[in-house]
Amino acid sequence: MIEAPKILEIRNLSKKFGGLQALSDVSIRVRQGEIASFIGPNGAGKTTLFNMICRLYQPSSGEIRFEDKNLLDFRPHHLARLGIGRTFQNLALFRHGTVIENLLVGMHAHLQAGVLAGVFRFGRAAAEERRAREEVERIVEFLEIEEIRNSPVSVLPYGLQKRVEMGRALATRPRLLLLDEMVSGMNQEETEDIARFVLDLRDELGLTVIMIEHDMNVVMDISDMVHVLNFGVPIASGPPAAVAADPAVIDAYLGRGGS
Amino acid sequence: MRTRTYKETYSQLSSLFPYADTWAWYGVLMAIVLALPWLVPTYIFAYVTLVLIAVIGAVGLNIVTGTAGLISLGQAGFLAIGAYTTGILTTSYGWGLASAMLASGVASAAASLLVGIPSLRLKGLYLAITTLAFSIIVVHLINDADSLTGGSSGLPVRRPDLFGVVPMRSQMAMYFLSLAVAVLVILATLNLLRCRVGRAWAALHDYDIAATLMGINLVRYKLLAFAVSAFIVGLAGSLMALNIRYLNTDSFGLILSIEAIAMIIVGGLGSVRGAVLGAILITLLPDLSRWVLGQFGSFTGSLASGSAAEIKGIIYALVIMFFLRMEPEGLNHQWKRIKRFWSEWPYSH
Repeated sequence: MIEAPKILEIRNLSKKFGGLQALSDVSIRVRQGEIASFIGPNGAGKTTLFNMICRLYQPSSGEIRFEDKNLLDFRPHHLARLGIGRTFQNLALFRHGTVIENLLVGMHAHLQAGVLAGVFRFGRAAAEERRAREEVERIVEFLEIEEIRNSPVSVLPYGLQKRVEMGRALATRPRLLLLDEMVSGMNQEETEDIARFVLDLRDELGLTVIMIEHDMNVVMDISDMVHVLNFGVPIASGPPAAVAADPAVIDAYLGRGGS
Repeated sequence: MRTRTYKETYSQLSSLFPYADTWAWYGVLMAIVLALPWLVPTYIFAYVTLVLIAVIGAVGLNIVTGTAGLISLGQAGFLAIGAYTTGILTTSYGWGLASAMLASGVASAAASLLVGIPSLRLKGLYLAITTLAFSIIVVHLINDADSLTGGSSGLPVRRPDLFGVVPMRSQMAMYFLSLAVAVLVILATLNLLRCRVGRAWAALHDYDIAATLMGINLVRYKLLAFAVSAFIVGLAGSLMALNIRYLNTDSFGLILSIEAIAMIIVGGLGSVRGAVLGAILITLLPDLSRWVLGQFGSFTGSLASGSAAEIKGIIYALVIMFFLRMEPEGLNHQWKRIKRFWSEWPYSH
């Protein structure tokens, strides 16, 4: 099998918060079209890693490259245009808006209208809004949320809010999608829906997906690669079956079955 | 009963008024306000002029405080900058009406960048105090620069003809000028809030980190919110100057900023319709309550007119508390409820 090119390369990344070593010397490679999972116990540094990829935290040392660009040269608001989208562990929707409005905010980086164009809404600005609306409707259809498209997000149940947040991340037109604990708190059916969406995103749109996930069924079923962190230290990387059999991973995270 | 809407194109979906008959209703409203000067005595449409100016100011403040969530107590400062810019340019430098008004907006927007910069780091109460300080400093500077502004003795304002041809002396002309500006400002704001810029403001209000990752540059959009808001408030200040024809810094005290905040809270934060309704209610309220107090006899009546400023302050405080407690979404919410009831009538429940 020909190996796909790397889309994300993390090299010797470390992060210290005061005296706390949140991440030490992490090196991870993610290939294009891969579904990768970061797993590990709470406090292992998974979200810290996401926050450094999103440029919300500055690494203490190390390097992050995305499609041959040094990510450390960019600021957080550049990421949407670079092609990185993300969801948050705790819901981070714009609660005053409807589903459609939330998705339209996701399109921000790909629209141009400034104040004057917005005020007059002639020609180009109106056409741009129309196109944005069209694109957002495609995401609505993909995520099967047609019925709620005009609902305020604050009245939606948790599972649907998560789905809307995924839609908002998709509206940034990402090539790399970071999903932070997407299925936590979801029932079996909602979880399976999300897993199906992730597979479809990869298979139909060619997206690369990195998930932080605690649901081992999802991780084992749909990941191509699993990276395990423990107290900020990478302890294993590999295909799901190999990682699940790794004694260090079993000790630190999965636990031993039986008595 | 109004049936559900069926849309066939995306442009229909994103139109300003989803129902065709909405245009008809606003047409009727426009016909009434256009005919008003011929229907009512002068003192009434002079009063409506004040309401219209308040509406413009409230719609402006609503952008920065209601939509973008950046609390501003600097309204009085921005109004003062707008008012004095027009006063100085028309009276001392002979500028035309339109250019002086535009300059007022620009001057106020430029000043807002000064307040906007601390807003990048400050939130909530701290931002409120910073903007309040700005407002006090503005009034202080105006008082000190008496060669330009007339200082504490005040500044008479000339009201030039519009474009050099349309005479503006009459109260009726002032009414139509305020009406035109109010309608334009409302339409412009409605358009702005439903495009990329307005959505970015709402997003950074709700969740700034998520907004950043959608590609929204927080620095730029916070400053933009301040500038656009201050531009509109500057226009309101300019109209104030032209309407009163005499400026004094006493009219730009803290109570003016509180009044503006009260308008958008009462109306419902973030909604243009709310700002309009709130501005109408809050402008009418002091006179309404004076009239009510007068009904109880001459003592309460004279009390009300004797200490008007104090009574005003108490009324605003009570109204703000009442709305925050009973109807935090403001008059706009009530409006929607009533509209839903009647558009579904007789099947409403």
